[in-house]
Formats: sequence, C-alpha cells, structure tokens
Amino acid sequence: MASPVIELSPVDLAVAAALVLVAGVVSFSLRLGLERRLAIGAVRAVVQLLLVGVVLKFVFGLDSAAAVLGLLLFMAVAASVAAVRRPARRYRGGLWRAFLTLSVTGLLTTFTVTGLIVGVEPWYRPQYVIPLLGMILGNGLTGVSLCLDQLLETLDERRHEIEMELAHGATRWEAARDALRAAVRRGMIPVVNSMMVVGVVSLPGMMTGQILAGADPLGAVKYQIVVMFMLAAATALGCVFIALLTYRRLFNARHQLAIALIREQQE
Amino acid sequence: MTVPGALSDAAPLLTVKDATVGAGPVCLFEGVSLALVPGELVALKGPSGCGKTTLLRSVAGLIDLVRGEVRLEGRAPEEMGWPAFRRRVLLVHQQPVLLRGTVRENLERPFQYRAADGEFPEARVSALFEQLRLTPEHMRRDVRNLSVGEQQRVCLVRALILEPAVFLFDEPTSALDEEATASAEGLIRDEVARRGAGALVASHDPVQPARLCRRALDLPSFASSGAGAAAGSNEEAPHGEPSH
Repeated sequence: MASPVIELSPVDLAVAAALVLVAGVVSFSLRLGLERRLAIGAVRAVVQLLLVGVVLKFVFGLDSAAAVLGLLLFMAVAASVAAVRRPARRYRGGLWRAFLTLSVTGLLTTFTVTGLIVGVEPWYRPQYVIPLLGMILGNGLTGVSLCLDQLLETLDERRHEIEMELAHGATRWEAARDALRAAVRRGMIPVVNSMMVVGVVSLPGMMTGQILAGADPLGAVKYQIVVMFMLAAATALGCVFIALLTYRRLFNARHQLAIALIREQQE
Repeated sequence: MTVPGALSDAAPLLTVKDATVGAGPVCLFEGVSLALVPGELVALKGPSGCGKTTLLRSVAGLIDLVRGEVRLEGRAPEEMGWPAFRRRVLLVHQQPVLLRGTVRENLERPFQYRAADGEFPEARVSALFEQLRLTPEHMRRDVRNLSVGEQQRVCLVRALILEPAVFLFDEPTSALDEEATASAEGLIRDEVARRGAGALVASHDPVQPARLCRRALDLPSFASSGAGAAAGSNEEAPHGEPSH
C-alpha cells in the first residue's frame, strides 16, 4: 500500500545546496555577517551526516550486538559532554555522573520500548535501537543540562539560605529538597510542553520521516505516541538521576554543602 | 590550652580541643582549645577578617576542622548526628538569612525539621517580639519588607526559641541601633543564665565583649604562622585574656 520511496540523486542534492545559497544571499545583502558561519555550517552538516550515514550503514551491515552497543555508548558519551557543557556552572565529577545518568536511563528506556513494546528481533536490531536511543539522548541531554543548570544555580546563589537551614538542624535532604524539586521540574518542562503541542504546532521529525519514507500516517502516529511517552519517561528519569547524583556529590555525609566544588563554566 | 577563669567546675557544655581551623587551603588558627561551662558567655575577639566566622562555622561543623575535635556534653557530633548537634549548637549568622515567605513561616520552619523537638512556642515568640520592639503585625510580614535591623532581630528570635545548649553568635548586633543592641544583649544574657546555656560571641566591637562576656578568647594569639608551621607551634601562645 505504501508508495515506493523516491530516491534522491546527486543532482537533487546539488539543487538543495542551492537553497543554502538563498540564506547566503540574505546574509550578504542585509550585511548580517553570517556568510562564513553559514558556509561552515553547511559543510559541517553535510560531512557529519555523511559520516553518520557511513557509520550506520557499516554497523547495520555488521549485524553484531557488540558493534551496536559500542555505537550506543559512543552516543551516550557525546550526549554527556554536551549535557555538562551547556549549564552556566559545572562541578568536578559532573561528566561521569551525566554519562551514568544518560546511559542508564537511555538504555533502560530504549530496550524497554524495543523489547517489551515493539518486540524487536534480535534485541539489538540497529535500525530500531539506534534511532530510538538517539531521540532519547537528544531529549535527555536537554533535560539533564537544564536540570543541572537550575540545580547548580540555586545551590550557588542560595548557599547562605541552605547553610542557615543546615545550621538550624536541617538534614542535607531537608536543606536541598526545594532546590532539587525546582531543578527536576525545570528539566522536565520542555518534554511536557512538547507533548502539549505535538501534532498541532509541530510534526515530529521521526513521524515526518516515516511519512516521507512512505509509511502509513496512522502507523507513524502510533510510533510517535510510543516515542513521546518514551521521551517523557527517559527525561523524567534522567532529571531525577542527575539531581540525586549531584546532591550526593555536593552534600556530604556530615550534612555540609561542598560549595567549593561548584565552578563557573569557562566561556 | 583552656581559657582560664571558668565560672565553675561544672562539666563543660562545649569543648573544643586543639582545633586547627582553615578556609580551604588557608590555615587560620592552630591549637584552639576551649571549654564552655553552663551559663557562660565567651567572647571571640579579633579584628574583622581574622577568621572569627570561619571558626564559628567550624565549631558548628558547617565546614570541617583541619584537625582537632568539638564535643557537646562530651559527645561527638558524629555520635549525635550532625543535624541534632547543630540544632543544639546553633550558629546565628552575622548577615540575617531568612527564606522567602513571612516572618511566621521563617520562625516555624526549624520546628518542621526531623531533628526538631518541641512545639512552636507561640507565647514566647510574642514576649520576645515585645522585648525586641517587634509588633505582632510583624509576624505576617513578608521578610522582604523588613529592614536589615528587623531581619536581624527576627533571626535572633528564631535562635532563642530553639533553645539550643550553645549559641554561636557571629556579630549578633551588627545591624542594630544602640537601643536594640541593649535589648538584644539583655535577652542573650538572660537566656544563657536562665537555662544554663552557653554562648560564643564573635565581635569586632571593642566594648561589646566586655559588656556581654566575663572572659574572651583573643584569636590573633592562635593565628597560624602559615601553611608550613609545625604542629603545636602555638604551644607558647598567651592565653586568652579576660577582657576587663
């Protein structure tokens, strides 16, 4: 029933490249000074996507669980680096905690979906596992970085209030609770908002892709529903995880706030 | 070295033994020892910036001692649990720190902690408010609408109603005018005498220690001679002198 996918030829891609020139002309005529960045951006996009295409084709061809897992871990590392770079502050030991958070919540959610809901055979089938984890990590890293940003900001700016509470006999949990709650909330807002507007304001990329590739729209919608809930679960788990791991790092067993561990991000 | 001139032979409330105090990599004091008996106020004297605040935060365990130990009635904080220890050895910060919300919410908050004991003492709060020239209407006020002096008085009330064994006051009257300072000092003195509590009072005011305390610990005499100083190099340092 699905119409065959129309393959793109190199000529088609060249015509698409001409579209970037439109942006270049706008920048040039309005003196936006973006030509250089546009050129670099366009070239990077092409190179990065081609590279991903080559790697995916290679991994798909290998049909090996180890290769898929290796790629998944690489993706989690890249997402963790991005997640700790975005917040205005960082703390020593933040990177591996972000990695632990994103890899555990990402893999858990991905394999729950592929194993229990979709029923993928074999369990590591890259065509399903890799794009699903990609979406989870993309959303998860946004959640984790927003959550970290909010938590470190609160702890830094309200350290006197937190220390006052500790001085009056609050446990570290009692002193940190409000800050943790606000941070998890902040991290979850984007994914909650996206559930509100999905299909009305935005057509998700995955669904669009499936429809372009000739899938039945209702089939694509079913997948998208699974994906939305999966992203909500993964982001919620990720925010809670990173908040708790950060809390355990910055509040020690003597119920002190180790404020010296928090640093402003360079640049 | 224990400060001489203790009021009685009663078992000490708070003991600080051979404490080395530092802020991060900087070592501020070495060999600080002190025994505070019930009913006693001891002043911590020294110029601004000498590390009085750091010493008080170390005693409260909000930062670690580099070396040495603090005990309350012979018990180590680890044994009591840090929140319970801090609830009984209460640091009152120099800058008044209040949470968003009303005065009442701020006063009630510490009674909601797990380490809290006892009910919120409504009548006592009213009496303290009157003595510190705060009106009942202040209870409903948003803390952002208080002057710094009012905030400091609220913080003092919050500390007094918790009835800790030991107060650690960091410049308790720095934001108060003369009259309010006199009331606050009177309250602190009465509270310590009435319950047999103890208090360490950090002050850079040259006369407050004399008014409030019978003896003083002169902190510069414990000043660390630097990161490379040999342990116990302050063995010969003069004892804290009575301030009057």
